[in-house]
Amino acid sequence: MEFFQYDFIQRALLAGLITGIVCPLIGSFVVVRRQSLIGDGLGHIAFAGVTGGYMVGLYPVVGALILTIAGAVGIELVRRKHTEFADMGLAIFFYAGAAMAIIFSTMTRMPSTGLLSFLFGSIITVSLTDVITIAGAGTLVLIIVYFLFDKLMLMSLDEDIAHVAGINTGMINMLFSILTALVVVVGMTIVGILLVSALMIVPVATAHLLRVGFKATMGWAVFFSMLSVFIGLTSSFYLDIAPGGTIVMTAIFLYILMTIIRQYIAYKEKRKEQSLSFLGDK
Amino acid sequence: MCEVKLSEIHFSYNTNVAIDNISLTISQGDFVAVVGPNGAGKSTMLKIIAGLIKPTRGQVQIGGKDIFAAKEHGLIGYVPQNYGKNAQGFPATVKEVVALGLTLGVAAAKRNHQAVSHITNHMMELVGVDQLRDRRIGELSGGQQQRVMVAMALAANPQLLLLDEPTSGIDYDASARIYELLGTLNKNLGITIVMVSHDIEKAVSWANKVACINRKLCFFGSSKEFDDTHAQARHLWYYTGQ
Repeated sequence: MEFFQYDFIQRALLAGLITGIVCPLIGSFVVVRRQSLIGDGLGHIAFAGVTGGYMVGLYPVVGALILTIAGAVGIELVRRKHTEFADMGLAIFFYAGAAMAIIFSTMTRMPSTGLLSFLFGSIITVSLTDVITIAGAGTLVLIIVYFLFDKLMLMSLDEDIAHVAGINTGMINMLFSILTALVVVVGMTIVGILLVSALMIVPVATAHLLRVGFKATMGWAVFFSMLSVFIGLTSSFYLDIAPGGTIVMTAIFLYILMTIIRQYIAYKEKRKEQSLSFLGDK
Repeated sequence: MCEVKLSEIHFSYNTNVAIDNISLTISQGDFVAVVGPNGAGKSTMLKIIAGLIKPTRGQVQIGGKDIFAAKEHGLIGYVPQNYGKNAQGFPATVKEVVALGLTLGVAAAKRNHQAVSHITNHMMELVGVDQLRDRRIGELSGGQQQRVMVAMALAANPQLLLLDEPTSGIDYDASARIYELLGTLNKNLGITIVMVSHDIEKAVSWANKVACINRKLCFFGSSKEFDDTHAQARHLWYYTGQ
């Protein structure tokens, strides 16, 4: 296929598929912790990091990484301090990120093409350095999630039970926030800052419709996410559209499709039950 | 040895005193019902024993060690009142949740999966949720969820089980089954149980000791003594808080 012959496509696919694995891995915990908007908040901070990094002559992804991790640590500290209004802290960081991004981008006069590629994602700007960075960060996320899986699952269900069970919940929450920041930065290269959060949430929402266990939900979410990345990147190439839009729309299409299938199965089951009760009555 | 010793415990939220100078000793194998009116500090006391909140003054010792030094995986099982704020729709199956009690303290690479599966099945049978093993916890009724949480706590083989209102919001039959289960666990496995309850009649009938608190410790002794000496007064006190 002509599509796979281009070096930039191979890089984009590799980076995209790694992103497709790590986003729903973290997203599976983010969704059940009722923190679905954290990716959006961190995305805005990452945008400030990109523009700030460009301003001080830093590689934009490194700038995003530094500021996003700092933001994630800040959000976690505010969440601990104000447990009753945890989302308020997220909102403040969200706005601060957007405001800083506007200030930095105006001050540096960053080229609009560069800005747009970070906002909407790009398949032509993925460099070998990006692929290596994404692969390194992705491996780190995979290893940490593997070792902390049970602890993260119990903390997602109830933090007090986890604390009494001897888990250092403060340390793991902080680590999880940093991992989320890492995944946002990993994902922004391909999907773009505006929609990176969607790849963390939508495939997980689709997998939830299957009503299987936690591990199986996570596995299916990774499958839906990788499928969305593959179809999205391919259509992005042929339609000459930014990949962020095509990937996320594919993920949303899969969600709608799964919802319809689920409804159909529920309808069929209900009909079967009604038939059985009718025969029983007879 | 899992003796729980509270020495002159005091706790206040800002200027509101929730626990005022409570001292008591719970012996290994005791089943203690903690009763008292709303706002008496029952849940706060349980959280202090669990090490979730630090008392303003005083000390909690478990097995002769300070709670914060003694806390290790499996020592204490805790089932809070509003457990799992996120439980609604939570995708984990009953089997996955119960297995957590076993796997938390063991590194992923060192787990004996066959043993985990065997013990998990045993715990599910013990609390009567084995038929629900593949159902998601978020889809179960309150009573069923409560049993799953007890099974998870038991899977860690705790020496001390702390339960905060384990029967709140549960129908009569389901709550009777939970009390029966706790009584059996206490008698057969010798697990020390401290349970906060509003249901004085039921709690006192299953527990061997009763701690009545209304910020201060009003009574601590055997449930028989509580039944004999406080039978009438406790109703008045319970409903009026006086």
